[in-house]
Amino acid sequence: MAKSKTNDNWNSGTFFNRLRYSLWRVVRQIKKEFQLLKIDKMNLVIALMMPPAIIMLFAFMSTSASVTIPVKVSVISYDSNTYVNQNNYTETTTWDNYTSKYLDAVKESELLELIEFYDASESEDEYAMETARNEMRDGNIECIIVISVEFTELLSTGYPGIIELIPDSSDAAAIQDKLNAVQDSIKIFVEENDLDPEYVLQEYEEFSIPSKYNFRYNYNMTILLPFMTFGISFVLSILVVVQEKPIPRLLLTPAQKSEILLSKFIVYSIVLALQVFLVLTVAIANGLYIAGSVIDLYLALYMLGFAGVSLGMFISTVSNTKTEANQLFFAFFILIILLSGMFVPIDAMPDYLQTIAYMLPLSHGAPIIKGILSKGKSFIGFDFFWLLGISSVLIILSFLVINRKRYEV
Amino acid sequence: MSTGNLKDIVVNVENLEVTFDEKKIIRNVSFNVRRGEIIGFFGISGAGKTTIIRVLTCQISKKNWTGNVNVTNLSPGSKKNYAKILSNIGYVPQLEELNLYYDLTPLKNVEVFASCYGMKKKEAKNIAMELFSILDIPEDTWNKPLKKMSGGEKKRVSMAIGLIHKPDILFLDEPTTGVDAAKRYDVLSYLKKLNRRLGTTMFLITHDMEAALIVDRAAILRDGKLLEFDSNSNLITSLPNNGLVARFSIENLNEEKINIIKRFPNAPNIKTIRVGNETLEVLMDDFEKNLSKLIQFMMENGLKINAMSRDVAAFRRYFQLRIQEEEEKERLIRIQQDAIEEVEI
Repeated sequence: MAKSKTNDNWNSGTFFNRLRYSLWRVVRQIKKEFQLLKIDKMNLVIALMMPPAIIMLFAFMSTSASVTIPVKVSVISYDSNTYVNQNNYTETTTWDNYTSKYLDAVKESELLELIEFYDASESEDEYAMETARNEMRDGNIECIIVISVEFTELLSTGYPGIIELIPDSSDAAAIQDKLNAVQDSIKIFVEENDLDPEYVLQEYEEFSIPSKYNFRYNYNMTILLPFMTFGISFVLSILVVVQEKPIPRLLLTPAQKSEILLSKFIVYSIVLALQVFLVLTVAIANGLYIAGSVIDLYLALYMLGFAGVSLGMFISTVSNTKTEANQLFFAFFILIILLSGMFVPIDAMPDYLQTIAYMLPLSHGAPIIKGILSKGKSFIGFDFFWLLGISSVLIILSFLVINRKRYEV
Repeated sequence: MSTGNLKDIVVNVENLEVTFDEKKIIRNVSFNVRRGEIIGFFGISGAGKTTIIRVLTCQISKKNWTGNVNVTNLSPGSKKNYAKILSNIGYVPQLEELNLYYDLTPLKNVEVFASCYGMKKKEAKNIAMELFSILDIPEDTWNKPLKKMSGGEKKRVSMAIGLIHKPDILFLDEPTTGVDAAKRYDVLSYLKKLNRRLGTTMFLITHDMEAALIVDRAAILRDGKLLEFDSNSNLITSLPNNGLVARFSIENLNEEKINIIKRFPNAPNIKTIRVGNETLEVLMDDFEKNLSKLIQFMMENGLKINAMSRDVAAFRRYFQLRIQEEEEKERLIRIQQDAIEEVEI
């Protein structure tokens, strides 16, 4: 066999010649990584199938919750049902009782279940509010709807009638559901009594989820999307370097450590791009409300995922064994989750913990995603640049560590 | 093996010393290797075989070693030479899992490693097919995942990968370890076949004395020192009486009886090696003349000889004797040092 011509000249010559061959090797390493990834079916399933499946699961869970469980309410009416003529100060009964019409609307709404009605006008039931509050404390109702004193009178004369809502706020995440349900009853009431334009229905509060979207699903998505994108990218990359046994042998070829690591970063970044695309597709198909742009959301999620890949690769690079990598992953993951603001708001933490929390990637996940989903903000901002900074530092550290690491066959 | 001139020298090592954490691992080692030779590095664990090979394969930084070392006329002391040296050498690790991606096929594995040398897929495939044929790797396994192959087949694929870029030198770390007794000879004969067909210089790092069967020159190392570096035949003929041995089966053989034999007056240079429970091999000067006298001496001293045969020593015996000799020298030096210390006190 004649000596190969290729290896005589490939590594000599100019800087550009060496760079050319270095790039060639990186491309071939990328191909190898894809071949290994293709064979590792479990990793592919986790990377590409699991995130959309989780979104679907959440969508199903949230949808069924809002459709099948109406909010239990009690209605207290202080409506006097009388009309005082301002010219002669005579009091007459109104020609139309809007309280009973609103009660009809409550009964008609699929989102509300009327448990009790209290007529508190004319001191007929002076302890109505106290009784209703006790019912709410006992968990028999979730919401008290209060009809104001001059409800009928105001509506009859073309002014907006006032309905107060007292929700059970012990479950903060469910308040929006209650608000939506009551708004549904008002919508029915307004439409059936032709009150428009006298009665202006504001469909949603500023930055809240529009009532036609599933609040519970969208609320969860602001937490789930960053958590899942970061977490899955992180867990997928922690073993990438440490479990590849032939790396020391590859280093007995002209291949460089940096080329091997770079190829892994490229491959996992490509997988991440696909993963984020699938996640977003499934999330949108299931009714994700995005006040901002989809591109912004995609790039923000990609950045979060990339921070996960960078941290995973760093752990994989510094670890000497798979066990060590798994232990480091667990320690980091617990810390990141606990300090992410999911359990305790970061601003409520002691100063020193806030400093640590803001240094960790996931703490910037919910704000950036919430900003795009609810407020229509751009992905560009402090959180994005912080994530970019963390990722850059981790990448540089990974390259430094792998270049200093001793590999021996 | 051709004797050749200086141009044929592919590895030159002069006064190599390797130090880790102020501990000297390799002491003043010098040797050179000619193109096409098969060199065996023999020694017990910790002798320094692997350390020397790691210097030659650019795995140990220059700050840990001194001396003049050249591999294919390039010094592994300069990082600038690493890529060129690594493109001129191949390496077959002891464990196949360190050399192979078990989930990929043999041809895909070849492709991965060949690409590191800048080789194109087609070129790599052609060379791989030629090597697979020489190594009798069944064609129906070339496109199946490596994990489905037998241990012997994996070992051969590993060898093929070491040779895929047609290196000048191939380093093999314990090539017969983990291979069952019958297959060990197969591995060795494949290596000899590759050496003949490709002319590749080979370094075998091994505990397996049977590997001496195929080496052109053997290096014996102990405690970082190169005790011998010569051909098998030269080493054996350097033994008393060209390596002729008498093998005795002696009833209830023990250390006391061996010491009696060592005191045989007619051959002061007598060497003994216990090779079995009741079996002892003896080498001595003037073998033919002294053999009958030795038997008589043994009988006079109450040793009961159950059987006796004669043979020429194998490399294994030379290795054992050489290591024993070195241990004896060190023991005497220690006794002398202890005596000097006692006098000083």
